[in-house]
Amino acid sequence: MDRTSRVVFAVLLIVVAAPALALVIRALGPVWFFPNIVPSGNAVQRFTEDFGGGRLWRAAGTSVALATLTGAGGTVLALIAARSLARARRGLRHVAEAGALLPVVMPPIALGVGVHVLALQLHVSGSLVGVLGAHLIPAAGYVTLYLLGVFSAYEWALEDEARTLGAGRVQVWTRVTLPLLRARLAEAVLLGALVSWGQLALTLVVGGGAVRTLPVELLAFLRSGDDHLAAVAALLLSIPPAAGVAVLARGMRSTGGVV
Amino acid sequence: MTGPALELRDATVRFGSRDGLRDLSLAVDQEERIALLGPSGVGKTSVLRAIAGLEVLTAGTVRIQGRDVTGLPAEQRGVVYLHQVPSLFPHLSVVENVAFPLEIRGTARTSARRQALAMLERVRMAELATRRVTSLSGGQRHRVALARALAADPAVLLLDEPFAALDPELRADVRESTLGLLSSSRIAATVVVTHDVDEATAVADRVLVLLAGGIAQSAGPRELLARPATLAVAQFLGIPNALPGQRDGRGRFASPLGTIPAAGPAGQMVAVFRSDALRIRPATASDQQTADARVIGVRHRISGTVARVSVAGLTVEGIPDGACPVGGSVALELRVADVHLVEPPQRAESGPPVGRPRV
Repeated sequence: MDRTSRVVFAVLLIVVAAPALALVIRALGPVWFFPNIVPSGNAVQRFTEDFGGGRLWRAAGTSVALATLTGAGGTVLALIAARSLARARRGLRHVAEAGALLPVVMPPIALGVGVHVLALQLHVSGSLVGVLGAHLIPAAGYVTLYLLGVFSAYEWALEDEARTLGAGRVQVWTRVTLPLLRARLAEAVLLGALVSWGQLALTLVVGGGAVRTLPVELLAFLRSGDDHLAAVAALLLSIPPAAGVAVLARGMRSTGGVV
Repeated sequence: MTGPALELRDATVRFGSRDGLRDLSLAVDQEERIALLGPSGVGKTSVLRAIAGLEVLTAGTVRIQGRDVTGLPAEQRGVVYLHQVPSLFPHLSVVENVAFPLEIRGTARTSARRQALAMLERVRMAELATRRVTSLSGGQRHRVALARALAADPAVLLLDEPFAALDPELRADVRESTLGLLSSSRIAATVVVTHDVDEATAVADRVLVLLAGGIAQSAGPRELLARPATLAVAQFLGIPNALPGQRDGRGRFASPLGTIPAAGPAGQMVAVFRSDALRIRPATASDQQTADARVIGVRHRISGTVARVSVAGLTVEGIPDGACPVGGSVALELRVADVHLVEPPQRAESGPPVGRPRV
């Protein structure tokens, strides 16, 4: 790495790391409100107490449930879609890829308005089911694109061979396809869950404030000016994505990035 | 069982969006091994996939042991299809791969493993039974794939370019061991697809030459090489000599190399023959040739040396007998029994011209 590259790399590192560092300092630093003479503790203590109160426990529970269902549901939908598309004619595949990309590239707030209209029609607006449906849209899009990449390196001959060896369609799924893709599907579930985990715009628009997830509560802390608790909630919100990226990176290393 | 083990009748096979092969019919007798021989892209693999049920026929029927399987899914046909590159399940060990067809048919795991081990013994792979298949060499993968195919006890075995992916030094060994295994198995019909003439004639009881649009010839290896049905077949087989001439209808054929006996009606014909039918030796004063023949090239191969000779405006290839330097005048001796006459290409045909261009 030459001198210029090192400088650019250092600047990039600072740009990326600085907000994270500020977040950690704010979350773990002392809480010292006027007119107290000494600090009244730190943000984590307040956060833990608030958790004990139940509000954030419920929000975390809702976020975990939504993320789990979105990850699993999105992966099921994406697996079916990506598998079919990977074997489709090139023209159809391009159209479908563009379709999968649409909810990914659309601004979440714009997507949310469209989904909200649908949710109202289906009488699921303001409910967990409505928010789950809304989260599934971008999650399925992301996971479909991910799995299309996986299927582009997939050895279809294995399924053909299994069939001529006597395996029915269900047996091909259970004994060949799913075991072969196990690691990639776990990553897909994780990806779908992460899309849901950080989702704010869709949750607010479709949930109408009735569905309280961690990002929604984080926003509430910010609005009320309690940036200490907001920082701790943000830190908590950041842990699963960081862990997820580590797991995904480890998976890619262990398989060399192939199926 | 009487009647053909495998029968394809009036089958039309699609390649992508077009009909690649139309009205294709073939039958494989009980315990017969045939080779589908043809150039790349002619549809050999599509025929195999259609027989296996991995591709749908646009028209026609497939019958296996007399049973119409055209509408049946691949898993119910009793056909095993082996890909060019052995497709072993990477998440299973060697023995698990071989036990796969047994287990999915409901054989208990311990029994399936025992039978799989016995099958691995037959292919001399038992000592690697617990290995991951990803750690095997090309030849070992091939043997495991074959053991797994035989464990499925198929009525019909389809081999798609089975030795093409192997290194040349391994190919002959794997081919011989494969043939030995197939001979000792109870497979009713075996179809091998290949574009390699030597491979087709080595493995098959009968060779079907598949050229554009259909089967150009069906014959035993010896017959095929000695008597190609058409000039196109001869050229595909790599028979190097094709001499145009006139059959007079009175039992003679006149060509630039002289006149030879040839029964049949009068008309333009082409004499085709292999290099080993033509002996080339240095010309002597006693030789009385109708045309000046000179060596224009000598090629040394593992199977022997061949020389190319320019004679009467054409190029022929034969086996040199003695020193035949390039540019030297030579005498040609054609073994008439090995010469076969075929029709010249029709004007509408777009095949290569008769004879070989000068180099």
